[in-house]
Amino acid sequence: MRQKRIKSGILVAVASVLAVLFLFPLVWMVFTSFKTLSESLASASLFPRQWTLENYASIFSASADSNMVQWTINTAIVTLIGTVLVIFVDVLAAYALARLNIPFKKVILGIVVVALTVPGIVTLFPAFYLFKSADLLDTYAPLILPYSAGTLGVFLIYNFLRSFPKELEEAAYLDGASQWQVLTQVIFPSIKPVVTTLGVVTFLAIYNDFLWPSLVTNSDEMKTLTLGVATLVQGSNFVNPAAMMASTVVATVPALIIFLWANKYFVKGVTNSGIK
Amino acid sequence: MHMTNKSKWLGFIFVVPFLVSFLVFWLIPLLYGIWISLHDFRLSVGNNGFIGLKNYVDILTPDTIYNRTFMTSLKNTLMFIVLSVPPLILISLGLALLIEHLPKKLKTFFRTVFFLSYSISVTAVSAIYLWLFGANGGYINNILMKAGLISSPINWTGDQPYAWLVIVIATIWWTIGFNMLLFVNALDEVDGTLYEAADLDGASAWNKFRFITLPEIRNISIFVMITTVIASFNLYGQSLLITRGGPEQSTSSLIMGINTTVFGNNQLGVGSAMALLMGVIMMLITGIQYWISYKSDKDELAKPSRKERKRLKRAVNAGPTNVNQHPAATIDKKERKIT
Repeated sequence: MRQKRIKSGILVAVASVLAVLFLFPLVWMVFTSFKTLSESLASASLFPRQWTLENYASIFSASADSNMVQWTINTAIVTLIGTVLVIFVDVLAAYALARLNIPFKKVILGIVVVALTVPGIVTLFPAFYLFKSADLLDTYAPLILPYSAGTLGVFLIYNFLRSFPKELEEAAYLDGASQWQVLTQVIFPSIKPVVTTLGVVTFLAIYNDFLWPSLVTNSDEMKTLTLGVATLVQGSNFVNPAAMMASTVVATVPALIIFLWANKYFVKGVTNSGIK
Repeated sequence: MHMTNKSKWLGFIFVVPFLVSFLVFWLIPLLYGIWISLHDFRLSVGNNGFIGLKNYVDILTPDTIYNRTFMTSLKNTLMFIVLSVPPLILISLGLALLIEHLPKKLKTFFRTVFFLSYSISVTAVSAIYLWLFGANGGYINNILMKAGLISSPINWTGDQPYAWLVIVIATIWWTIGFNMLLFVNALDEVDGTLYEAADLDGASAWNKFRFITLPEIRNISIFVMITTVIASFNLYGQSLLITRGGPEQSTSSLIMGINTTVFGNNQLGVGSAMALLMGVIMMLITGIQYWISYKSDKDELAKPSRKERKRLKRAVNAGPTNVNQHPAATIDKKERKIT
């Protein structure tokens, strides 16, 4: 018994050391954002000797060379509408594929699975050129719409529904409910967990996407936070770690909050997507 | 269920939004990309006519400019895969095993901590690592200098092998939580009675890991390996932002090379051909991984360790099994394999 306790004590100690290592870059990011420029460049200590809000003030000042506020608004618009769109499109399709006797069912299911195995890079540049030809670069359209073509969500919800008993729906049909009523009042409540998972995964995927937004966005006013930070890394903040960390904190905190809030759904989602 | 033709097509309406979106943003771009790759297609002025497979020939003929771009960035990307995939799998499995053996109350906490960095963007990761490992004024250099371990700053992001080291460390820190979570969930699924039986048999910790844990998490390990290789193939943000592809293009990845061809050289046709080649290479490697793991599964049964497995199996059958739980667990595992 005592041996067991010693063993678990050692394991907890090892885990704690690793946890410190994992958290260090984030903690360093936060503390550096409160350092002065000269201290951030020279200091070997984690904590600021002299705390300052100057970095945050400079990001949000009227004369700032970054559009942090506009980027935040863009990110909110793109991620929220994009996530709702993906859920709407995927739930309807998955429901019809799992429950209704529709034409071309096998073909569509085949498409869903095959598309999962094709690397995203092959559609990226032609999709960009199509948006360019349609004169839609630098608008919200390419930043939102293409995410709804992903088939992972359909796959997840379809699998969930397949393992879910049909009795409730059949009872509802017997009571004279319409297809739409069954969908909104029986199906929706029961698939809430998997939809929440899909929502969180999609939200973070859109929020953190870098390559695609960098192709379809030209002007500074249309950038998302993730894209904006990249501009700062390559540009004005390149010589100023304190300012760069302040921008990074602003860009990262919303994602971290969403993640911590939805941690358990995320965990489940990874399990579901992992079962293949 | 009896359904009239009319209601059949009524139900079809539900899949229309998905099909339209899939068609416009996936299938048409895919086919259009193939079409573009067969043309002399400039980003600025568009199509200059059909040229057959010339773009592909150019890319694959030694010493043309596109061949150099493609081969160099392919070589760099494969280098990154070799450097990043083993630690991404082994360390994540180690973390998962560690979490599995922690007291119950602490599991969620540590799992969350190790997974936390997965939620931030590649640009944030790059910003952080760029300044942790900055040459002049970077935090790690400051510490090493103060401690007297080095006398002049190390050019972490501008010299090899440091440049790869920084990119690999940043990537491990950023993405390892995802793999760990897959392993944690797989370890949770392992039937506990197997271990109990092995304990009764006096099996060592290593043997339990080798003969119970590893075979039980086999499927998820293959999945982790394949997804990790694919993710490493898509290296872009880290090397663009941390090392800017340097020193001397040595960390310039495939996607960076394609990007340069399309936007730098104005060659959408050549770039599309490169992207398709990259996609084909990725699918081939995925296929080979599937094939090898399927084959090794067969070979496994023929090895001398079979005796040991049999002995364990007997022990398991004789061991104290929970009747209510055991069959259900078996069914569950079968379902996992099918889906």
